Amino acid sequence: MNSAKQDPHRVAVVAAGIVSPLGFGLTETLQSLRQARDCVTPVTVFPVDKTRCKTAGQIDDEQLLTKAQRCRRARRLHRASHMVITALAELLEDAPGFPPEIVIVGTTSGGMSFGENFYRTLGNGNGCSAALIANYPPQKQIVDAMEKFGMNVPAEVIANACASGTNAIGHAFNAIRAGRYQRILAGGYDALSELVFVGFDSLQAATPEKCRPFDSNRSGMVLGEGAALFALEELESARSRGAEILGEIIGYGISTDNHHLTQPNPDGSGPRRAMEQALAQAKLTPDQVGYINAHGTATILNDSAEGKAIMELFGDVPVSSTKSMMGHSLGAAGAIEAAVTLLALQYQFLPPNINFRESDLSLNVVANEAHEAQFNCAVSNSFGFGGTNATIVFRKFAR
Amino acid sequence: MSLSIAGMSWVTPLGSDVDDVWQRLLAGETAPVEILENEENGARYLVRRVPANTPFPAHSRLRRASAISRFAAAAGLAALAEVKLPPSLDRIALVFAVSNGGVVYTRRFYSEIVKSGAQSASPLLFPETVFNAPASHLAAILGINGASYTVVGDGAVGILALKLAEDLLASDDLDFCLVVSAEEIDPLVCEAYRQWRFLRNPSKPTGHGMIMSEGAGAVLLERPDESIPSAAAHASAARIEQIVPGRNFFRRSEAAAELGAVVARLENGIGFGVGSANGTFIGRAERAAVGNKLPLYSPKIALGESVGASVLWQLIAAAQALKTGTLPGGLELPANSPALVLACGLNQQTGGLTLRLRQRE
Repeated sequence: MNSAKQDPHRVAVVAAGIVSPLGFGLTETLQSLRQARDCVTPVTVFPVDKTRCKTAGQIDDEQLLTKAQRCRRARRLHRASHMVITALAELLEDAPGFPPEIVIVGTTSGGMSFGENFYRTLGNGNGCSAALIANYPPQKQIVDAMEKFGMNVPAEVIANACASGTNAIGHAFNAIRAGRYQRILAGGYDALSELVFVGFDSLQAATPEKCRPFDSNRSGMVLGEGAALFALEELESARSRGAEILGEIIGYGISTDNHHLTQPNPDGSGPRRAMEQALAQAKLTPDQVGYINAHGTATILNDSAEGKAIMELFGDVPVSSTKSMMGHSLGAAGAIEAAVTLLALQYQFLPPNINFRESDLSLNVVANEAHEAQFNCAVSNSFGFGGTNATIVFRKFAR
Repeated sequence: MSLSIAGMSWVTPLGSDVDDVWQRLLAGETAPVEILENEENGARYLVRRVPANTPFPAHSRLRRASAISRFAAAAGLAALAEVKLPPSLDRIALVFAVSNGGVVYTRRFYSEIVKSGAQSASPLLFPETVFNAPASHLAAILGINGASYTVVGDGAVGILALKLAEDLLASDDLDFCLVVSAEEIDPLVCEAYRQWRFLRNPSKPTGHGMIMSEGAGAVLLERPDESIPSAAAHASAARIEQIVPGRNFFRRSEAAAELGAVVARLENGIGFGVGSANGTFIGRAERAAVGNKLPLYSPKIALGESVGASVLWQLIAAAQALKTGTLPGGLELPANSPALVLACGLNQQTGGLTLRLRQRE
C-alpha cells in the first residue's frame, strides 16, 4: 500500500484565481502589491456604530455581482459564492477544462450573513426565505461555483479557523505528493459578516486604528474578505500536457498549539514547529528562503509569538504581512496570501508591510514599499483559533 | 487503502455504550422523543437528546464549552481507551466532522448583538462559535499537537472526514487518526430545517419528516503497516475497505443517481447497507441507488438525525451488525460479506464506504 515509501511526487501550481480587497484577478492584485495600496475602508455591509473597529478590507458588491454574471439564480447566492465563482472563472480562463479529482478548500463561516438574516427574520416575525437556509452552509459556496462551471467532484471543506486556506492547500499538496491524486482544486474563501466582525471586536483583537503588523505600536487586526483558488497538479502530468507552471509547492507543516483556544503560546513553539516541518519536507535550510509572508495579524500576541519563531528560525529573512493592505480574510487568508507569495516568486519582488513605523522585534520587515529581490523559495504562514498552525513553502519553477 | 478500526465509541440519545446501545437497537428500541420549544417564535419541534445523566470528562477546557465539545470529548476518549497500546501522541492526527457546529453559543452570541447591541457581545462566547473549537478542546485534552483538521459539510460530511483521514494515513509520519464527529441541538437549527420542510410535525409524531438529535461518534483508525504492532483490542473490530466521497447533487431528483454512482465504485458482493434515511427524500434516493434486494437499515430512524455526527453512528452500527451478524428487525446477515455505509446529506453531498470484519490479531 505504502505510496509514501515511493519517491514523492512534485506538485505544480498550474493556474490560480483570486478576488480580494486588492483587486479582481492576479493582475490587479500584483499592481496593488507593487503600489503598496491600502485597501482598508469604512465598513458598509453592516452597521458598525457600536463597535470599536469600523474598517475592513471589502470587495465592491457591484463589481462582484457583475463579475459573477448576474442572473435570477445568481442573485439568490451568497456573496461568498460570488467570490468563489469569480476566482474559479479566472482560474479556468488559464486552465480551461481543468479536471480536478477532488476540491479541498478552507473557510470559517461560509454564508454566515444569511444565517444572521435568518435569525433576524425569526425575531421580527416575518417569514424567511428557504434560500437563506439552503445557501448558508459553508460547503455551499464551493458547490455553487462548481455548478456554475459544470464541474462536479467531492468537496472537502476544512474549517481550521484562520489557517483553513493554508491547511486546505497544504493537505492538497500532501495528497498529490503521496500519489493519492493527480489534480486537486484547492484554496479558500470567506465573506465579511457582522457576527464575526463583532466577535473579534468583542475580544479587542480588532483595532480602531490602522493595521500595523509587527510594529511596536500595533493595536490589532482589521478583517477582510475574498477567495483564492489554485489548480494543483502532479508535475509530470502537468509537463506532459504542456501546462504553464506558475510555481511549485514543496513543503507543508501543520501543528496544534494547545496553549489556549484563542491565544498562541508566547514562546512561539506552535508556529515554529509548523515552519520547521515545512522546511524539512521541502529539504530546505532557513537561509534558502528569500521571503516570508507572515500571518501577521497585528495583534500583540500573534505578532510577538510569530515574530519570535521567525527570528529564531530564519534570522533576517525579509518578512511582510500583507494583511496590512487588505485585512484578515480568515478562511480565505491563507489562500489569498499563497497567491501573493506565488506572485512575489514569479515577479521577484517583496510585497510590502504597510503602516509600519518601528518594531520592538528584530525582524527584517519589508516596510511600506515593495522591493525588487531575487529569490527561489518563499514561505507563507497561517495560524488560527484553536491553536492551529500551518506553513507552506513555494519554489519558483525553473523551466 | 484499507484501515483498521482500532477503537470506536458514540454518544447517542439511547446511551453511550456501543454494545449496549446496539443491543437496544436490535431489540427495536428507539430513543425517547421530547418537545423543544423555540422562545423566539413559539414553534415546537420533536427532538431526541443525549440523556442528562450521561457522564462527561472533567477537564478545564470543557468548563465553558458547549455541549458539542462535551459529546466529542466523551466519544473521542472512549474510542482511544479501547486500544491496548496507547498511540504515541506525535503519531496520531485528529479529524473532526461537523455540520452545524457550536450553534448554541453562536445563537446566544448573535442574539446579544441583535437584542442589546454589538457593545454587549460576549468575548467568552465568541471563541466557542468557531467550527474548530470542539476539535481544539479535544486536541488539548488528549495532548495531540500535530495535525488536526475540522471538516464541515452536510449529513455526508463524515465520509469526507474519513477520506481526509485515509489520505493523512498514507504518510509514514502517522500511525493513527482519530476521527470524531459531533452535533448539538438548538432551536435555531430546528427552525431552519422546519422552514426547509424537512422536520416531522409535532402533531403527527409518526408522520414523515425527520427528528433532530445530537451526540457524537468516534473511530480510531490505524494504518495497516505490518511493522507496527497493532493496537486493536476490539474483539471483532472491523476494517474499512474503501471510502468513496460522492459528487454533489444540484437538485434533489439527482440524489439517487449520485448515490448510485457511489455504490457502483464500491466493491461487489455487499451483504447489507447502513444508510442515512431520515424520513425525507433521502430514504427513497438510497433505496433507488442500491435496488430493492439489499437489506438497508438506517440508525436515524431510532436515534434521530444528528447531521454531522451521523455517518460515524452509521459506521459503528455497520461494524456492530458485522460483529453480531444481524440487523435491527431480526434480519440475519450473510457471513463474510462486506457492509455498505451510504450517506446522503440534505444539502447536496453524498458518499459511501465498505467495511468488513477483521480477523482477531
